[in-house]
Amino acid sequence: MLRLPLIRAAGLSGCRLGATGLHTTASKLQAPPEQIEVFIDDIPVLVDPGTTVLQAAAKIGVEIPRFCYHERLAVAGNCRMCLVEIEKQIKPVAACAMPVMKGWRVKTNSDLTRKAREGVMEFLLVNHPLDCPICDQGGECDLQDQSMAFGNDRSRFVDINFSGKRAVEDKDVGPLIKTVMTRCIHCTRCIRFASEVAGVDDLGTTGRGSDMQVGTYVEKMFLSELSGNVIDLCPVGALTSKPYAFVARPWETRRTDSIDVLDAVGSNIVVSTRSGEVLRVLPRLNEEINEEWLSDKSRFACDGLKRQRLLTPMMKVDSKLQPVEWEDALVAASRALQQAPATKIAAVTGKLADAEALISLKDLFNKLGSETLATEQPFPKDGAGIDLRSSYIMNNKIAGIEEADVVVLIGTNPRFEAPLVNTRLRKSYLHREQTIALIGPEVDLTYEYEHLGDSAEVISQLKNGTHPFCATLKNAKAPLIILGAEQLGRSDGSKILAETQALAASLGKTVQAPENWKVLNVLHSNASQVAALDLGYGSSLAEIKAQNPQVLFLLGADDADIKREDFPNTFIIYLGSHGDQGACIADVVLPGAAYTEKNASYVNTEGRAQQTGTAVNPPGMARPDWKIIRALSEFIGVRLPYDTIHDVRGRLEQVAPHLVRYGDIEPANYFAQALELAKKTGSFASDPLELKQKTLDEFFMTDVVSRASPTMAKCVQAVIKQRQAQL
Amino acid sequence: MAKFFGVDKVVRFFQIVRDNGGIRGSLRALYRRDELKSGTLIGEDKYGNRYFENNMHFYGRNRWVEYADHVGLDYNASQVPPEWFGWLHYKTDLPPYKDPSRPNYKWMLDHTENMTGTRDAYMPYSTTRPKIEAWKPK
Amino acid sequence: MASAVRTVRRQVRPILSIDQPEARSRVLNLYKAWYRQIPFIVQDYHIPKSVIQCRKKLREEFLKNAHVRDIRAIDLLVIKGQMELKETVEIWKQKGTLMNYFKETEEKKPTDFLSKFLSGHD
Repeated sequence: MLRLPLIRAAGLSGCRLGATGLHTTASKLQAPPEQIEVFIDDIPVLVDPGTTVLQAAAKIGVEIPRFCYHERLAVAGNCRMCLVEIEKQIKPVAACAMPVMKGWRVKTNSDLTRKAREGVMEFLLVNHPLDCPICDQGGECDLQDQSMAFGNDRSRFVDINFSGKRAVEDKDVGPLIKTVMTRCIHCTRCIRFASEVAGVDDLGTTGRGSDMQVGTYVEKMFLSELSGNVIDLCPVGALTSKPYAFVARPWETRRTDSIDVLDAVGSNIVVSTRSGEVLRVLPRLNEEINEEWLSDKSRFACDGLKRQRLLTPMMKVDSKLQPVEWEDALVAASRALQQAPATKIAAVTGKLADAEALISLKDLFNKLGSETLATEQPFPKDGAGIDLRSSYIMNNKIAGIEEADVVVLIGTNPRFEAPLVNTRLRKSYLHREQTIALIGPEVDLTYEYEHLGDSAEVISQLKNGTHPFCATLKNAKAPLIILGAEQLGRSDGSKILAETQALAASLGKTVQAPENWKVLNVLHSNASQVAALDLGYGSSLAEIKAQNPQVLFLLGADDADIKREDFPNTFIIYLGSHGDQGACIADVVLPGAAYTEKNASYVNTEGRAQQTGTAVNPPGMARPDWKIIRALSEFIGVRLPYDTIHDVRGRLEQVAPHLVRYGDIEPANYFAQALELAKKTGSFASDPLELKQKTLDEFFMTDVVSRASPTMAKCVQAVIKQRQAQL
Repeated sequence: MAKFFGVDKVVRFFQIVRDNGGIRGSLRALYRRDELKSGTLIGEDKYGNRYFENNMHFYGRNRWVEYADHVGLDYNASQVPPEWFGWLHYKTDLPPYKDPSRPNYKWMLDHTENMTGTRDAYMPYSTTRPKIEAWKPK
Repeated sequence: MASAVRTVRRQVRPILSIDQPEARSRVLNLYKAWYRQIPFIVQDYHIPKSVIQCRKKLREEFLKNAHVRDIRAIDLLVIKGQMELKETVEIWKQKGTLMNYFKETEEKKPTDFLSKFLSGHD
């Protein structure tokens, strides 16, 4: 099976390194071989054999200019910007592609090196348009920076009437990426990213020399869940963000470090804002979570933060929602909660709820005497339920996926539920010979996998050893099971969880993997889910329906398909940032803050607590969620004992200390106990495992923010259009 | 002789009182306008304002307007339409109905008084779109 | 140990007054000077306060420092009061500065959680 893309097999990359050139976060299992000594600008440095000159230089902080080299992509060596002089060699060598030899003396700042750089720069600029003033990359352009730092300070280009400058037709590659192909310097980073990381072999080059063009060969859009990353990768302004075109310059914007909450991965992001408006979202480096990538939904759905917002509290007056003052809305909500008996009130939390709001709501309901707090996505209550953390988090961590050699995906489509988990799987598939199997509907995961069937029965067969795939599993050194949290909401969710736990336990016995290897992993799709389960949101929607509550509190619950018909006589209070399904059926609407507008804690699917930053203030009369609940508690007369965010976090620490240890993972244990408690009886439902997100168009709109986003709507249209064109 | 003794002043006073509609009319006119004058009626505009001239008074006070009765005490100078404005301010000696050069197109708007301070006053408003669009409940 | 620390009345150089009665008389003199000046102040500055209101405020301002017992502190306050009076009489101040004494119409910033929440102050 040819796993590495053709581009490398064909030798375009000039790869001499194999996988060692690639940056992987997983620790190497083998003992490190003997190191060799080289000299960079006469400074000795010890490196592993196979290290490139560029990497060796980076080790002592010498930055060699580059365009085509990228540490997470295969080495191409075609831009020639990284030429350096090596003593006793006639020609300068490309530092990015040349492995160091013992005793080499590399000169990164000699006359020859500088002359080589200036020459390369000159050649690049001959055919590069001088449209920096109208180019969106201006200010964050590698070509600008490096021509300032390494280019010649005078031009030999005197023929101002020259009309032979290269011009290339722009390509339409979809609603996210704007192309100005004349600016392209043919570094092929986008091509390598598409084929290696995104797994979509759409991009490539045609022609050679000055006729070389990067494109899609045929009229086609570059549609992938990771396509936005080529914008960051492009060193020039050839690929820029279409929604962000001509919006702002990088020096005008204010940057706030934050966390993405549109999936449960918890990617680290930087939110760019200007005058109280979120302009764009960029990824932030975090080796343990998203490396430096970001999914398209997280990157481009930020314009959904500006539409369909709840700006004022609203209340049903004459059976129509009308804007009111905070006092009126809170009085109405508190009166309803006061009048209802404790057994007749219930709460449902949505995808985007933060831990502070979750704990405030739980404290409020507990003070009122109710424990009916549910998450939108149900979690089975039988067995250990939510008591043992190991049964609902990704125990082996996201980075740990790379080390597995056999992965069984159960009822999940990581490509769309967690695109950055899928990149890890794909990376290991390419470079570590990982075997991947899938139970569930057949979907395109960008890599080949063994499809074991779409029935839940297969889990039992794997456990009992009656399935043909068991042979592979038995020989696995580091097997991994990734269970989609979506399946736990099925009627036989507890059975699926129990069987998966049993399968994981049986695999765990044979495993020869490193210590602390955990086979069982649950992949969530809701950012709030792990925090909610940690805090004890144990009820489910079905229970609430059976309870027929008098008051139903929706904390941003828009995706649970709660209908007014199911709760005809219920007073519904909705707290959230966007007007969507929840606000439509509500009697009182309390406007909350979206994730860019509050300092809030989220726990990702690994159980890693992280906090978002306040990039802009909540719009209109909206307030941070926990403050609304805190104010409501005072109106009801059961004052919650916290006034500041620090007090709330203090309370969080009392309940679940790991929720305020930001950046750290609190590992879960008690696998055996969880298995013991798990429900052994019962049977699987006959219907096959189903997924919400199977194709790309289903990926783009999954929550209130992305549903409100016009860019995401365009993406869905583009995918549908492309699919129809291909039929 | 009568002039010498100032009797003509008394006569003129009674004449003015008579012109203003007797004692009662004069009192009303005094109440509205704080002065009692009589002159020849030069014309009346379509809003009911009447324009007078009496060259007995010195220049600057010999032309005046009596605002329409229905406005009561709420009169102000902007109620004078532009065509009469010129005559009232000595830009021209021709009242509008005698002025042949006065333009009269059908697209010309009707005169309105200055509405500042009333409910109909012009209020500037922003035409820029809000940065954040609110959700409108159905 | 205790014998080592002896409480002594610290001898300090007086600013104006030697003893309590003298300080008291200075305060009273200042008060009287203000009291007599107030009708003219009200007239000169044309402030929307009556003489009675201003005298009430004067009394209030003096009583604010009723607890001060230190003669030097009293003297300093008297000197400051005299400066203030001089500035007021010479109309070196403006109306608004004088009205700063009457701040009761100013709305206080909310301090407790709920009023902060409702008014939107963070």
